[in-house]
Amino acid sequence: MNDSDLDFDPEELAMLRQLFRTEAHDALEAVTARVLATGSQRPNAETLTEMMRVTHTLKGAAGTVGLDAVVDLAHRLESAFAALGRDGSQWTAATADLIVEVTDGLRGYLDQLALDPAYAEPHASRLREQIGRIAAVPVRDSANDLRTRDSLADLGRSPSELSVPASGPEIRRDSLTDMSPADSLSMPTVTELGESESVVEMLSGDITAPEPKSYLRVEPERVDALMSSAGELLFDRTRIERRVQLLRTLARDLARTRQNLRDAIGHDQRGGRDRAGLSEAESELASQAALLSQTTAALLDEIEALRRTIGELQRGLVRIRMESARNLMTHAARTLRALRRATGVRVELRTLGEETEFDKAVAEQLVDPITQLLRNAVAHAIETPEERAARGKPPTATITMRARQDGNLLVLEISDDGRGVDTAALRARLVATGRWSHARAQIATDADVLEALGSGVSVRGDADELAGRGIGLDLVRQTVARLGGEVKVSSLPGRGTTFSLRLPLSTSLAQAMLFKVGGQVYAIPAVHVSETTIVEPGASTVSLRQAQMPVLRLEALLGGAVNSERKPGVVVSFAGKTMVCTVDKIVGPREIIIKPLGPLLAPLTLYAAATISGSGKVQLILDPAQLVRRVYPEAIGEFADSTSAPMVLAGRALVVDDSRAIREAMTSMLGREGWIVDVAEDGARALQMTRQLRYDLVVTDLEMPELGGFDLIARLRKDERFKTTPIVIITSRANPEHRRRARDLGVRALVAKPITRRKLLEALAAR
Amino acid sequence: MPELRNVIVFAIGAARYAVELRWVREVVTLGFVTAVPTAPPALGGVCNLHGTILPVLDVGVLLDQGAGPPPRQGDGALVIEAEGVLCGLRVDQVDHVASLFETGGSVVDAAGRPLTLLEPERLLKRALELVGSAQESVAT
Repeated sequence: MNDSDLDFDPEELAMLRQLFRTEAHDALEAVTARVLATGSQRPNAETLTEMMRVTHTLKGAAGTVGLDAVVDLAHRLESAFAALGRDGSQWTAATADLIVEVTDGLRGYLDQLALDPAYAEPHASRLREQIGRIAAVPVRDSANDLRTRDSLADLGRSPSELSVPASGPEIRRDSLTDMSPADSLSMPTVTELGESESVVEMLSGDITAPEPKSYLRVEPERVDALMSSAGELLFDRTRIERRVQLLRTLARDLARTRQNLRDAIGHDQRGGRDRAGLSEAESELASQAALLSQTTAALLDEIEALRRTIGELQRGLVRIRMESARNLMTHAARTLRALRRATGVRVELRTLGEETEFDKAVAEQLVDPITQLLRNAVAHAIETPEERAARGKPPTATITMRARQDGNLLVLEISDDGRGVDTAALRARLVATGRWSHARAQIATDADVLEALGSGVSVRGDADELAGRGIGLDLVRQTVARLGGEVKVSSLPGRGTTFSLRLPLSTSLAQAMLFKVGGQVYAIPAVHVSETTIVEPGASTVSLRQAQMPVLRLEALLGGAVNSERKPGVVVSFAGKTMVCTVDKIVGPREIIIKPLGPLLAPLTLYAAATISGSGKVQLILDPAQLVRRVYPEAIGEFADSTSAPMVLAGRALVVDDSRAIREAMTSMLGREGWIVDVAEDGARALQMTRQLRYDLVVTDLEMPELGGFDLIARLRKDERFKTTPIVIITSRANPEHRRRARDLGVRALVAKPITRRKLLEALAAR
Repeated sequence: MPELRNVIVFAIGAARYAVELRWVREVVTLGFVTAVPTAPPALGGVCNLHGTILPVLDVGVLLDQGAGPPPRQGDGALVIEAEGVLCGLRVDQVDHVASLFETGGSVVDAAGRPLTLLEPERLLKRALELVGSAQESVAT
C-alpha cells in the first residue's frame, strides 16, 4: 500500500508513525518481559494468550499507519505464538532466547524503518527467518489477505476455511478456548472477532472490559527540560537567600550607626537648631533601619514559602518521571540470560515488587550496578552443581531481585542463594594487602568486614573476565553514593549474599556543562550555556553572531595556568548579559546531581552548589550570576541606589482578598508607598493573623469564602487593638446597603475594583 | 575542680590535640580532595563523604599556629559536627580514645604531656569568619 492510499496527510502520518513506534516498543518490551519471567520454561496458556494479544494489537496498529511489512512480521509472530499454544512440544530450550532475539530485532527494525525505510528490508527478511524458527505455522504471504483476515479470528473459524499446509498441525476451533481464560476476553481487539458468530457466542456472557485508565504520552525531553528549570529555581533561591543575608547584615549595621549617632548627640554640647537637626536625622535613620529589618524578615518568610513551592514542584515532576521497577527487572533477566549462555551456570531470576516506582533517571543509573552485581553473583557466589548437591541445594541457583519502598528510601535487593562471603578469608586478605592492621582485623565485626568488600578488595585473589569482584563492587558503591544512597551487604556462609541498594526517593538532577580549569572539573547549569567557541590568545572580546562578547579568563579566577594559548570558550548568559569564559578543556554536557555546599562554604558566592562525579570526586558548580558580575560590574544593581528617594516607613498593612492577582497587585502598590504588606486569602486567615500581629492598615475584599469582608471588619472592631485602625474595602459591587454598613463599621473608604494607584492613594488620604 | 573528658587524641605535625568524642562523628580516610579556589587557607578543600560535601579545615590556621600541608587523598580526618555544621579536620595520626582530666582548657595525657583541647564550636566560628572575609576581599 502507498502512503497516499491512507487517510492521513503526510505530517499527520509521520506523527502517527512516531506514536506507533513508541507504542510498539512498549508492546515488544511487554512480550520480552513475559518470556523472561518464565525463564526457559514453556509459558502457560494465559501468558501465551497475552503475548498473542499484544502482538495482535501491534499488527492492527501497524496496518492503520500503513506499515505493511510490520503487519506481516507481527502476523507471523502472532501465528508462531498461536502454534506454541496449540502444541507445547514445539517449545524447546532455545525458544525463549529466540523470542527475545526476535522482539529485540523487531525493535531495531522499527527504528531502522523510521530512519531509512530503504535499508530496512534485510532486517525484515532476517526476522522472517528467525520467526519461522520459533514454531512451525501455516504461512500465508499475501499482505492483503492479512489485512482482511486475522489470525485470532482464524482460530475461531472452522478448519475448512483455513489454508493449512499438509505438514502443519491442525488448527481446531477449540484451540482458542484452550488457551484463553476469561481475562483474555477483555482484549481490545475482541470486536474484530465479530466475523464469526460462533466465536461471539462463545465470548458472550462475561465480557467485563475494565475502565480504561487514560495516560498522557509525553516525550521524556519535555519533562527533562521542566526538571532542569525546576533545578534552576534552586540556584535562584540560593542567590536570593544570600542577598537577604547581606540585607540583614546591613540592617544590623544601620542600627549600630544609628546608636552611635544617638550617643554622639547625647554627648554633643551644641544646642538649638543644630542639635534638633541631628535628632531629626537620627529618628529618620531609626525608622529606615526598622523598615529594612522588617522588610528583610518578611522577605525571609517569602523565601521560605518559595522553598516549599520549589520542593513541591520538584517532587511533582519527579513523580511524572516515575516508572515501575519492571524495566530494571527485565534488564536484569536479559543480563542473566546472557550470562547463563556465556558461562553455563544454572541460575534463575525471581523478581518481587515490580510495581515499585523509581525516578526514571535514577533507574537508568542503576542499570550498570545491577549488571555488575549479577555478574559477581554468577562468577563468584554460585557453586558448581556438585557442590550445591552436596549442600542439599537445588542444582539451579536462584537470584532474587526485590524492589520496595521503605519510608523515604527506595530499596533494591539482589540476593543469591550461593556460597556466601567467607568473612575469615576476606579478613585475611584485608590484612595481607595491608589495608587493615592486625589489631583492626581483630576487633572488626563481620559486618565491618563486609563493609570493606568493594573498597578494592576481592575475596578471590584473581580477577577473571566476568567480574573482578572488588573493583566492580567499588563502582556499584560509587554510583549509588552519587545518587545519594548507600549499599549494605549481608551474608550467611553457605546460604547466600544480599546486596541492598538504598536510595533516596527523589534526587535533584540538573543539566550542566562540564569543563576543566587548572586540573579540576567545574560545572555551569546548562540553561545558562548557549554554545562553545574558541578564544584567541590575549583576546579580551570574542565576536560571535554579530555581537562582541567580553572574555572572562576562568584560569585567572580559579588559579589555573595562565598562558598564551588558544583556549576553548564557554558562552555564558545571565540576566540578558552574555560573555565567554575561557577553560582548559570542555568535558561536555552531563546530567548532574545537585548537592548543597553547606553553611561553611555558603559565603563563597562564586559557587552555587556542587556535584559528585561518577568516580566520587566533588565538582564545584559556578554561579553564572557571579561570573557575569565580574565582567559587567554595573549590570546587576547593588542595593545602594543613591538616586531613589528615601522611603519612609508607612506601617504594616494586611491585604485580604481571595484573588491572588489582586493580593499581588495590592502588595506591590502598597509596598511602593512604604508599607510592609502581609496577605491573607480569606477573612478567617486574616483574623488568625491579626491575633498575632497588629496592623496599621487593613485592606479587604467583601465576598470571600469562609469569612466575608463585613464579618471580618465587625470582628476586628470588637478587638481593642483594631477599634480605630484604618480599614479600606475593595469591591466590585458597591451598593448603597454596602456603603451604609461600611459607614457604620467605621470603614475609611470603599474602593471599586479595578484598583488603581490613584484610587488607592485617595482612599488612604481620606478621613 | 578538674573535669573528666572523653576525648580522642590525635596529632598534626608535632602538635598534639584532643577533642571530646561527643563532637566526633567518625574518623575517615579522605577521598579525592577538590580544591576550592578563592577559599582562605583555613579551608583546604572539599571531599565526598557518603554523598555529602565535606569541607576540610586546617586546625593550625584556625588556631593561628601556622598552616599545615594541604589535605590530600589518603590523609586521615576527623569528621566533626557542631551546631549542625559538618566539617573535616585533617590529621596526621589518630592516637587513641581516653578519659582525661581537663584543667583550664587543656588536658594531660597518660604520659603527663599536655594536649590542646579543641573546642569545635569556636573553631567553626573562626572558620566562618575567615571564609566570609575571604569572600569580601574577592568581591571588591
